[in-house]
Amino acid sequence: MGLDRRGFVKFVVGGVAGTLFTPVIWQSLDDVSIWSQNWPWIPRLNKGEVKSTAALSKLCPAGCAVKVKTLGGLPYAAIGNTANPMSKGGVCPVCAGGAQLMYSPARVASPMKKVGEGKFEAIKWEDAEAMLVEKLTAVKGQEGKLAVISGDETGSANDVFSAFAAGMGSTGFYMMPGEMLTATKGVKLMGGNGQPGFDIAGADFVLMIGADALDSWGATVANQKAFAATRPTGGAATAQFVYAGPVLNNTASVSDKWVAVTPTGASAFALGLANLLIAAGAVSSAPDFADYKALAAKFTPEAVEAAAGVKAEVLKDLAAKLKAAKAPLVIAGASFGQGAGAVDFCAAASLNVLLGRVNVTGGMTVLPTAPKALAAAIGRESALDAGSFLSAVATGKATPAVLMVYEANPAFALPQAGEMAKSLGNIAFKVSFSTYMDETAAMADLILPAPHPYERFDDAMNPYGVAKPTYLAGKPVVKKPVADCKDPVDVLLAAAGKLGVSLGFETYADVIKAKASAVGADLDTLTAGGAWTSDGKGGNLSLGAAALAKVAPAAADPKTLAVAPVTRQAFGSGSLATPPANLLIVREDELTGKDLVVRMNAATAKAAGVTQGAKVKLTAGSGELKARISVNEGVAAGTVAVPMGFGRSAWDEFTKGKGDNVYKILTVSDEAGTGLKVWAGSTVTVAKG
Amino acid sequence: MDRALFPEGLERCSFGKFALWMGFITAFFLFGLYAMLLIFAKGIVVTGLDNYFGFGLWITFDLAVIALGAGAFFTGFLKYILKIDQLKNIINLTVIVGFICYSGAMLVLTMDIGQPIRAWFGYWHPNVHSMLTEVIFCITCYCLVLVIEFVPLVLEQKQLNKIPFLHHLAHNMHVNMALFAGIGAFLSTFHQGSLGGMYGVLIGRPYAFREGFFIWPWTFFLFVLSAVGCGPIFTVLCCTFMEKLTGRKLVDFKTKALMGKIAGTMLTVYIFFKILDTWAWANNYLPSVGMTFDQMFYGVIYGKWLMFTEIILCGVVPAIMLITPSIRNNPTLLYTAGILDCIGITLNRYLFTVQAIAIPLMPFDNWQFYAPNWAEWATSGMIVAYGFLVMSLSYRYLPVFPQEKMLNK
Amino acid sequence: MKAKEFNIKWGMVIDLDKCTGCGACMTACQVENNIAPMVDSSNKLRTLSWMLVFEMSNKKPCPDAEIAYLPRPCMQCGNPACVPVCPVVATDKNEEGGIVSQIYPRCIGCRYCMAACPYHARYFNWEDPIFPKGMEKALSPSTSTRPRGVVEKCNFCHTRLQNAKDKVRMEGGNPEALPDGAYMPACSEVCPTGAITFGDLKNPEHKVHELAKSENAFRLLEKLGLAPQVYYMSKREWVRKLGDNYAATGKPGAEKKHS
Repeated sequence: MGLDRRGFVKFVVGGVAGTLFTPVIWQSLDDVSIWSQNWPWIPRLNKGEVKSTAALSKLCPAGCAVKVKTLGGLPYAAIGNTANPMSKGGVCPVCAGGAQLMYSPARVASPMKKVGEGKFEAIKWEDAEAMLVEKLTAVKGQEGKLAVISGDETGSANDVFSAFAAGMGSTGFYMMPGEMLTATKGVKLMGGNGQPGFDIAGADFVLMIGADALDSWGATVANQKAFAATRPTGGAATAQFVYAGPVLNNTASVSDKWVAVTPTGASAFALGLANLLIAAGAVSSAPDFADYKALAAKFTPEAVEAAAGVKAEVLKDLAAKLKAAKAPLVIAGASFGQGAGAVDFCAAASLNVLLGRVNVTGGMTVLPTAPKALAAAIGRESALDAGSFLSAVATGKATPAVLMVYEANPAFALPQAGEMAKSLGNIAFKVSFSTYMDETAAMADLILPAPHPYERFDDAMNPYGVAKPTYLAGKPVVKKPVADCKDPVDVLLAAAGKLGVSLGFETYADVIKAKASAVGADLDTLTAGGAWTSDGKGGNLSLGAAALAKVAPAAADPKTLAVAPVTRQAFGSGSLATPPANLLIVREDELTGKDLVVRMNAATAKAAGVTQGAKVKLTAGSGELKARISVNEGVAAGTVAVPMGFGRSAWDEFTKGKGDNVYKILTVSDEAGTGLKVWAGSTVTVAKG
Repeated sequence: MDRALFPEGLERCSFGKFALWMGFITAFFLFGLYAMLLIFAKGIVVTGLDNYFGFGLWITFDLAVIALGAGAFFTGFLKYILKIDQLKNIINLTVIVGFICYSGAMLVLTMDIGQPIRAWFGYWHPNVHSMLTEVIFCITCYCLVLVIEFVPLVLEQKQLNKIPFLHHLAHNMHVNMALFAGIGAFLSTFHQGSLGGMYGVLIGRPYAFREGFFIWPWTFFLFVLSAVGCGPIFTVLCCTFMEKLTGRKLVDFKTKALMGKIAGTMLTVYIFFKILDTWAWANNYLPSVGMTFDQMFYGVIYGKWLMFTEIILCGVVPAIMLITPSIRNNPTLLYTAGILDCIGITLNRYLFTVQAIAIPLMPFDNWQFYAPNWAEWATSGMIVAYGFLVMSLSYRYLPVFPQEKMLNK
Repeated sequence: MKAKEFNIKWGMVIDLDKCTGCGACMTACQVENNIAPMVDSSNKLRTLSWMLVFEMSNKKPCPDAEIAYLPRPCMQCGNPACVPVCPVVATDKNEEGGIVSQIYPRCIGCRYCMAACPYHARYFNWEDPIFPKGMEKALSPSTSTRPRGVVEKCNFCHTRLQNAKDKVRMEGGNPEALPDGAYMPACSEVCPTGAITFGDLKNPEHKVHELAKSENAFRLLEKLGLAPQVYYMSKREWVRKLGDNYAATGKPGAEKKHS
């Protein structure tokens, strides 16, 4: 039977109509909708058993005790560890995204050697280690030829690195700048020895001078927990918090009061308070009280207003509150965690002495010197600072041939960053032990990838700010690291063996075991997420009057603005660019597109002749920073607030070239009487651009 | 060379000239097509839309063309249901304009949604509570009605009409056109209203939210009225524009003035209620949610001048012009009033779309700015170009204007 | 319109006097819900932040300026503006607990819900979720990834509710009466100051039940009548005032409270 035209039409029409009554078309449409969800390039979820393992997440400077959630053995999230007495279940924003940082595109995948400007070649570990030994052999026994810069304040790795340097005949072990270095020197000026601590949990009135204690200063999460405990949700607050600093920052936002103190006015402000307290009857049994009293008398409310921009009535009110408080505590710190002098620390900390708040509950403490894992190691109190070292390199006073950089990023995170990077360039052979391709690694001759915290053993002795001796330790969460990396300490110990430098350990795990037993802690408890603390206390302190005699109110130059760098924990640190999981936290008034946004109040902006959104150049010496203006009333007069941690030149697509680096416009000066380098009082000129 | 295809007894420009014109328009069309394909390939990330402005130029464009295309259903209603016979002179044009507007709007909508591949979910998983569902249903159904209304006109093309089957088909469709006009009027009234309802139900957007009658917020009725208040005159403007382009008279001025009178009457009714509505909104509703009239506006691009332009200059003024016979009967003034009217309604749709979502409601939030980018302009331009193409072909080959022969003797 | 009522009403009380604005909640949310990092994260009009911390200011000049941080998850409104407008029922508030759901495979991406939501709690996937190489190994098993072109939003980490119910079921308890703290979204869990209290607003054994009734508690844009299930509290009056528009009375604390 043939098919004529009519038959064909009937067949087609009937077929279409018939099909419409079957589920075929509808089912396939439904499939299309499901299918449209499942394109091959859209990642699928992984399967496996969910577990959580305790870890010490040293991604933030203080380190968070976390529980790492794993799926089939692979980490995917970090939550707080409620069993840990330090962080009590809290996690900082950086450690909260720790699992994602394991897979950061900035991770160094394998050992690499430099083969040209900005060019690297992946090499095998044997070759890398041989190269390291060869370079080290050449400088063995020569003082000043080997230098080490460490950016880790708390780990026993410092013991190994400093002992190794000593074994190599060098005294060149340097720390990146931070509160710990300055404050320990400040304690010395007050006749003490050791690292200071602050018992926020026990205080009923907390005055934070500079210290951004609730976001980026000290053991942040522990501080936040202590703060939170005084503010039961729905109940009455049991402590008052006052923040005195140049920027209405995260800490100030939840404080009962923000006192706008100019970046150079902190010492005058503290001594002004001392003056009022003494006038109101405060006395101290410290031997130098008489000198202190005479000194403080110079800081009248009027003088403080001129030097720090704080109104007399605000100062008086604050002094009255400090006096009335049962357990007041003054936390001394730089507003961006570094760059202030030991004398500045002394000025604020002396208030605790004056108020009789040293080595008492809710007061300031001095921690006893921590035990060392290696006898030859350099203690915290005698550490040297990396900034001074690189300045010496710049002037030719120091001529190292080999530099080892551990968990530090001196090419980015030192004041006058441009010059520091140049000094670094002058060192013939640089080794970077780094997890990520940071600015320093990008300059290094040899990069030895370090494991991510979930992939290594590590510990933390007395994170800065803790009130009691505290020790934490962690072990790897994963069986195998994501990158072809080795623990830097293990690498160093192996090299030491080949160089004939006897350190007595084979692995970092052994070092930590030794440290734990020296401390008297049970390592298994620590690696399971616990913490060791003790009640050991250091000695008494004086008021530091001799050092404070050098405090002179800085004369402000009306043509310049004071720089107040602003730290936020979420943005990472000098040695960690903003992690991928934290990018959303950066607000539009901190970074817009590729432009850094700097803030100043309306009066300052008017005087500087700039308006909201204007492009500007901030210049200090040879350093220049490009930014946009945001007019914001949360900045002290005559001050420009600059977010810190931006303007990366290495790292990944998420951070490279975003914003500008404030370190470029921080200028170093010598602190009178202590020989310390300071840069908290940096000033800049503002020009439209 | 295509003379044989021209409508009976009418002159058209040379094929070369026509081809040049079509080529010129096609260039715009192709540019828009490129943008459209880019949007389908890369997603609407290529547009200027963002999280704060989920709706922008496209939705404004859609709403505006649907309002302006309302001439089709309303004229059809008057012609076929109320039997105003004079409207036969322009009814074909209203159908074509309506068809272009609706089919164009549908195309824009498929671009606008993030998952065009799921566009049919509106029928498959309809949410009966959503005004948008109603819009999806009514617009697609009405677009079909417009196709049905357009088909007999195509079939009346000189050569096609020689085929007896098609001739009879066209004739029978014409006979029953009242039925389709009725369905069209019903569907169209509803979706014009639902478009207004879409905004009126936005309880979280005080600029748009309105109380109402039963399930319909006042905007439902206002949108219907405003659409019929501008649709007819838009058709007149299209016609006049075509007359200027072709240099031929297509519809007598009497019919145009009648359309102006119809639009003017509806616009007057609309603007009366619009003013009442705005007054009640500003004085009763806004204070009830703690807001003020001033908070609804900001700076220049979100300034109050927009609302005054919409209601007074492009609302009250054209309404008065169109209902006043002496003004309406002056061609220049009629067209001026028509242009103002159309601008006013478009502005109304813009304000409900963009201003309504631009207002930062959380007091700590900020005004954000939206500027459509090239991709949105290009694709909107593509729809306009598409309209020009359809209209050019229709004019050249179809007997659109029954009076043309008589008027151009 | 009347708010939909359920026997269980999951909600939050966020103490703004405790929020330091550190952003850990945003990070934890991003990790839990598999939001891919974006190269230009500074373009807030295109980013996806189910949880977003806003900065509020008392707008006084220095040195009297004060700021507060306000974390904004989805309000899970009792009378949601977004649900009835969805043309394809891709979002619903039906299940016990009153969480406003979003069905990604159903969503057509029309963004009408986004236009409806005055809190900007809904986000559109402008691009496909592409993670840096290897980072897909760190995807959370809790939330499926969403393709480009659909709208997404906070769902109070809904998988955690399922997990909490499963756990209670296995232990022989009643999954419809979870104890306080058995179910917590990632943001609430991570917050270092415990600013986000989470629980069943209707269960007297849950802390949020009383907290929501505190005289310092308020809801964002209370006067619009969306009846959010997220409450805020602050002892600072200017903060409470910034939670809504008070043009008419000038005073916070609306009579419409506690629907």
